[in-house]
Amino acid sequence: MKLIKELYAYREMIFSLVKRDLKGRYKGSVLGFLWTFINPLLQLLVYTFVFSTVMRMGIEDYYLFLFVALVPWIFFSTSVSGGASCIWAQQDMVKKIYFPREVLPIAFVTSQFVNMLLSFLVIFAVLIFSGRTLNPLALLCLPVIMLVEYLLALGVAMISSAATVYIRDLEYILGIVTMAWQFLSPVMYSVDQVPEEIKSIFYMNPMTPVIIAYRDVLYEGKVPELATLLHAVGVGVGLLIIGTLLFGKLKKHFAEEM
Amino acid sequence: MLPENAIEVKNITKKFRVYHDKGTTLKEKVLFRSRRMYEERVVLDDVSFSVRKGEAIGLIGNNGCGKSTTLKLLTRIMYPDSGSIEITGRVSSLIELGAGFHPDMTGRENIYTNASIFGLTKKEIDKRVSDIIAFSELEKYIDSPVRTYSSGMYMRLAFAVAINVDADVLLIDEILAVGDANFQAKCFNKLREIKANGTTIVIVSHSLGQIEQICERSLWIKDGKIAKEGTPRDVHPMYLGYMGELAQEALAETKSNDGNEAKEEKEAEDSRDKTNSESQIGNQSIIIKNVMTYDTNQQQKAVFRTGETVCLKIDYEVLKASDEVCVGIGIFRSDGVHCYGTNTRADKMPNLSMKHSGIILVELENELLPGEYLVDVAIESAYGVYADYKREICRFITMTEFEDIGVSRICHKWHGECFNNPV
Repeated sequence: MKLIKELYAYREMIFSLVKRDLKGRYKGSVLGFLWTFINPLLQLLVYTFVFSTVMRMGIEDYYLFLFVALVPWIFFSTSVSGGASCIWAQQDMVKKIYFPREVLPIAFVTSQFVNMLLSFLVIFAVLIFSGRTLNPLALLCLPVIMLVEYLLALGVAMISSAATVYIRDLEYILGIVTMAWQFLSPVMYSVDQVPEEIKSIFYMNPMTPVIIAYRDVLYEGKVPELATLLHAVGVGVGLLIIGTLLFGKLKKHFAEEM
Repeated sequence: MLPENAIEVKNITKKFRVYHDKGTTLKEKVLFRSRRMYEERVVLDDVSFSVRKGEAIGLIGNNGCGKSTTLKLLTRIMYPDSGSIEITGRVSSLIELGAGFHPDMTGRENIYTNASIFGLTKKEIDKRVSDIIAFSELEKYIDSPVRTYSSGMYMRLAFAVAINVDADVLLIDEILAVGDANFQAKCFNKLREIKANGTTIVIVSHSLGQIEQICERSLWIKDGKIAKEGTPRDVHPMYLGYMGELAQEALAETKSNDGNEAKEEKEAEDSRDKTNSESQIGNQSIIIKNVMTYDTNQQQKAVFRTGETVCLKIDYEVLKASDEVCVGIGIFRSDGVHCYGTNTRADKMPNLSMKHSGIILVELENELLPGEYLVDVAIESAYGVYADYKREICRFITMTEFEDIGVSRICHKWHGECFNNPV
């Protein structure tokens, strides 16, 4: 409770770090902020080309099937692997001044989140353009799903960023882990394609219900099943609590470990 | 916690692990567990103190005594291993200036980022932004990117933000070295103003003068413990005395090292042609054997305070008697500045007669300001003929609580209406 109050007092710091990150990211490049949109668009073009002409997958509009899951996945994986170094990278600040250390992972994940939201503008544009029907009722679930994913990503980023201060290798290990994680999540395929025997293992993956929910809403145009939603919420909140507790324990020695 | 206190520190202990070979990668952590030997160094050992609301205290001590660690614990950058720290109100620290500055953003944008790191909300920053800009004197450049600033401008902006955060408790670590003399004076005045408004201040500084000007109380930390606590006037002379002892020890060490070197050199010289020694100046009819510094009680000493008498004892050996002798000394600061020089002839003394070996004592009223000084001694056997000249044969250190600057103190008095002492 005390932590929430303190973080609220430091809200301006979170905002300005997010703003600094978003504004600073493309500073100096000619197209500047436009890159936020060009990047996912180009990615989409590549996927469309590969999966509709070179490698046919037997799933209708596969590029959309993939894209609506990939954008949320990229948000999650950058939060985890990129977020790992977000405290280490700010050593100067951490060693010299006090602020609630949670601010750093929160700001990092939030700025990735804003990035994802901007990419969603591209998704919506493509969805409308492709002529797929959008279900308004299902779309109402979207903010909930996003929020849940945000909590989930934040929880894992808290763990990865705090642990990286103590074990520097994690930053690199996590790069590989998230890649493997991607293939083990139903991003490039549907859960239905997973053999029945190992399906239960797939559901232990916290990202599985989140990805399914995104795809239900955006690709299938249907309201996700309540079970899927509850599963996702439970996992998101659970991981956030674990992450916060662990972070609280590890943060006391950050300054000495740097 | 007592209501009149702003800070209460109770029995804090802080240990650091000093690793002999620290591994932070996973491989090193897992494989070389046994190799990760460390010593535990106690930086703070059961320290307790409290600061009243609106009081200003200074933490002093030699390098590595634990004063900066204390400040870090107060800021909550680090946490004590045991003991408790309680602080009431908003804490702001002038330890790291310009935290979170982004070079590509304008001065104004950076004010917002930087101030937010101190925990200010947007509204609070909006209220202060004009004060901050005015204080930094950067009105003209405030909307240019910070990367175009000179380092002085950068620090001015950073300081302006930090000092305009209205904190209840302000922690300061050696910061009053920002910008030019005018800006420093401005910072100092601002600090006084802040103090007058009732802010509690804790300063870590090596500048005793600054602490004397702002603080009511000094805490001298020695080897992780509070050695002395009291008014700066009481504590600082004791601290200076201790520092003097430390300096004397260090000096004795370098001297003994020098001695060894000299010995080696001498041996090397001896093996060479003895008459060809270039380092000797003079005809060696009279030799300066040794020069040492003493205080008025005949105690050998190397550290003196400004105003104290320094006695130079010159030990000489006469190989060939002469009665036209003149003796001179020169004092140089360690950076080579010639501070003073005189000789018996300049002092209008008649020529001296030296027939036997003996000693000369020179009493000097030492008005030199803090520094390390080297002494040259020369003896002439006849007008313009050096018998011996020894460069840097002896050294001493001056310490002081005065804040005069320059080479030496010059006696002075102030007159004028404002001194109640009309011209």
